Amino acid sequence: MIKYIAKRIVQFIPVFLGVTLILFVLQNVVPGDPIKLIAGEKKLDPQTEISLRASYHLIETDENGEAILDENGNTIETPLWKRYIQYIVGLLQGDLGRSYQQNGKPVADILAEKYPYTIRLALLAIIIESIIGIAAGMISAIKRYSAWDIGVTTVTSALVAMPAFWFGMLQQLFWGIFLKNVTDGAFYLPISGAGGPHAEFQAWAYYLLPAFTLAAVSTAYTARIMRSQLLEVLGQDYIRTARAKGLSRKAVIFRHALKNALIPVVTYIGMDFGGMLAGAILTETVFNWPGVGFETYRAITSRDWPVVLGSVTVIVVVVMIINLVVDVSYAFLDPRIRFDGSKSE
Amino acid sequence: MPSSSMNRRTFVKGGLAASALGALAACGKKSDGGGAASEGGEAAGTAATGGVVKYYLSNPVAIDPYNAQETQGMQVTQALFDSLTDFDWDSGELVPRAAESWEVSDDAKVFTFHLVEGAKFHNGDPVDAASFKRGWERICDPTMATPSVIAYHLNPIKGAEAMQKGKAKEIEGVKVIDDLTLEVTLTEPMAEFPYICTHDALAPVPQAALDDPEAFAHAPIGNGPFMMQGEWVADQYIDLVRFDDYYGEPAKIDEIYFSIQKDPETAFREFEAGNIDFTDIPAGRIQELESKVGTSDDGYTVTPGKQVLKGEEAGVYWLTVNVKDDVLSDLTLRQAISLAINRQNIVDTVFEGTRKPATSVFPTTIDDDPSDVWEFCKYDKEAAIKLLDEKYPADSKGKRGIKLTLSYNSGGGHENIMSCIQGDLEAVGIECTQESMEWAAYLSAMGDGTVQIGRMGWNADFPIMDNFIYPNFLTTSENNYSKYSSKELDKGLVEARKIVDEEERKAAYRKLNQIIAEDMPVIPLMYYAHNHVGSERLASLYNNPQTKTDFETVEMA
Repeated sequence: MIKYIAKRIVQFIPVFLGVTLILFVLQNVVPGDPIKLIAGEKKLDPQTEISLRASYHLIETDENGEAILDENGNTIETPLWKRYIQYIVGLLQGDLGRSYQQNGKPVADILAEKYPYTIRLALLAIIIESIIGIAAGMISAIKRYSAWDIGVTTVTSALVAMPAFWFGMLQQLFWGIFLKNVTDGAFYLPISGAGGPHAEFQAWAYYLLPAFTLAAVSTAYTARIMRSQLLEVLGQDYIRTARAKGLSRKAVIFRHALKNALIPVVTYIGMDFGGMLAGAILTETVFNWPGVGFETYRAITSRDWPVVLGSVTVIVVVVMIINLVVDVSYAFLDPRIRFDGSKSE
Repeated sequence: MPSSSMNRRTFVKGGLAASALGALAACGKKSDGGGAASEGGEAAGTAATGGVVKYYLSNPVAIDPYNAQETQGMQVTQALFDSLTDFDWDSGELVPRAAESWEVSDDAKVFTFHLVEGAKFHNGDPVDAASFKRGWERICDPTMATPSVIAYHLNPIKGAEAMQKGKAKEIEGVKVIDDLTLEVTLTEPMAEFPYICTHDALAPVPQAALDDPEAFAHAPIGNGPFMMQGEWVADQYIDLVRFDDYYGEPAKIDEIYFSIQKDPETAFREFEAGNIDFTDIPAGRIQELESKVGTSDDGYTVTPGKQVLKGEEAGVYWLTVNVKDDVLSDLTLRQAISLAINRQNIVDTVFEGTRKPATSVFPTTIDDDPSDVWEFCKYDKEAAIKLLDEKYPADSKGKRGIKLTLSYNSGGGHENIMSCIQGDLEAVGIECTQESMEWAAYLSAMGDGTVQIGRMGWNADFPIMDNFIYPNFLTTSENNYSKYSSKELDKGLVEARKIVDEEERKAAYRKLNQIIAEDMPVIPLMYYAHNHVGSERLASLYNNPQTKTDFETVEMA
């Protein structure tokens, strides 16, 4: 097992180098000059532009940080490969570079500010998704064709079909505005942000609506996967055998069926968690959540490459770790799966 | 009846569920009379009305004068900092601010500013002439970790460009005569320099700005009527409280809470939920809101029952025409295009009639002379067809063999405007296609000159006519996306800048405006207008044509 984990971690390196290399090449392919964009609608004056390029090491500079000029008096662009090596060297020392925007704020600071919000929201959403999704799927499968089953199937279909931002807006209108008006200001929920000096609620209350919105679609999928998997397992011979040897229905479902049905569900939840940790642009936008997803989106549109690279780097690492954890967890769900490479099954 | 009992049971169940969630919401709620209220109580001693105004802001680029450039960030900057002068939109005159008076030399090259005595920064440091010099040199200093992008505001000052190029350690033209006297020498005469001094970028800064630029960017220490309470929390909020040692008239409210929102639609829902006092109005909601909360009389001031602002801004939306393009280098064609566009239709259908069709590059807030309009800047389809018929006769299908591409940046709602224009042009036989690009790509394309006709907006940095002409139409200007070049205009600009007498100068700029009108490197479409709404909690809030709210005069009900 340890050998397997070590092997997987070593595999991180090429994936990681590949992803950052692709992004680095993209910088030169995607139209739009990040430095010119710093000044917004107004154009940068040439002198400032040179100073900025020098400060971001985009052009060759001497030891005083002054731009080196060629014989025609033009600046010399630092080649891509050189910048890539600089980036990787910086990265190994924990330096993610500085944002082109935001007064040159270090990317590490930006991510450190935003990631906690993303992680907490993702965790809460995954908990909601796991508990409600698995429970609803199980009930639906066990009481097949009952009112419960029809209810779960209908609601999940509706949720899957509903865009997250629209569902979020409906929630805001209901919990924040409708309920406040109807109860005359007695009961309502905060509809955006994460608190602040004028927060009317405890910090956790701000997580409720975004977490439920973020979890909505995934919960529906989880319930549907759980239902179909459990139904399939319940039709297997060994389940009949278990029942025949006198085990109670409860024991059969929980001890024999559930574990086997869970593997695809865990895979789905794991992948979903990875996705959520990359940030949820729509949910973050609607609920004004200060997470990393919107930051990445903003960085892409304003060609803020250091921030794009920084967040992608973190996302790649996080997703790879989660995939590893999910793979390892299979071994606990299904003892037939082994990773030591000696002999399987 | 079974069915009704079923209903009742469901009803009870539903009620229970709702009250459970309600209880959840209630226990999440903080008890009243918390920290904020007691703070308010302490400060109430000096306040006339007190209270907190909660103000919507989309994510600012910078709140430090160092990079003050867009309206969002400057909303905060102008509450924190006072520059030398200020513009009074009511009287249309320049008024003193941090400088109580100033003199200009006869050649309009040397300006002497006399500062208000006893003014202090929020940290207690005195506001002296050196603090202005420090602030301006900071912007021109290329050795700062991140060079400022707005140093061009200081370019008229002698030696400012030399400092930006690293050839000088200070700006030669800025001299500290004594603590309260600042002397500024310009390279070329510019009688309107004191208008440039209204800009927040030219605010003074204390020594702390140089000691720790990083901290200063997130919690600037200024000389204005409000000061930072804590740091700028990115993507969340900026909190300002009244500065009690302010040299001028103290602010009436205790606090400004800037709620930073990613999506104006969310901000508007927070407004509807009663959590924001001043916000933008989402598309298509203006008329409904006007009937609900009333429209402001002057278009700029919110008072209870008159809460929707629709006043004209100091900004213009135009089509930039690439005059170096093979097809569009023909002046007649440019004139015909301008005549063919039904501007009134655009403002009515896309903006619910809130914006006004443009008749010149100057918004009426900048120049209200009704005679200073462009001849071809109006809708006259017949005249357009007549002009086109001479040079581009139509074939049997009504086509004239002209193909144009209309470019715009995606995501700003410009596609609706462009579709109107496309319809208008096709109605006179000009074939059009649309092309939308992301903002970043769009700016590059505009700069490279690969765009035929593109949209662009210009909002005044300073409320003077020069600011609409110089940056956009001077041959060497950075923003001259039309690649326009007129020797007559370039020369006229230099001359106009020398004129000290205000009326004479305005007349000169109107003449320059007519030169541009004849050449049509741009086709003005409309003037921007306010699109804001205030809550009924505001007793009074004034938002000027440059979209800045005058926070020291804001009163809460």
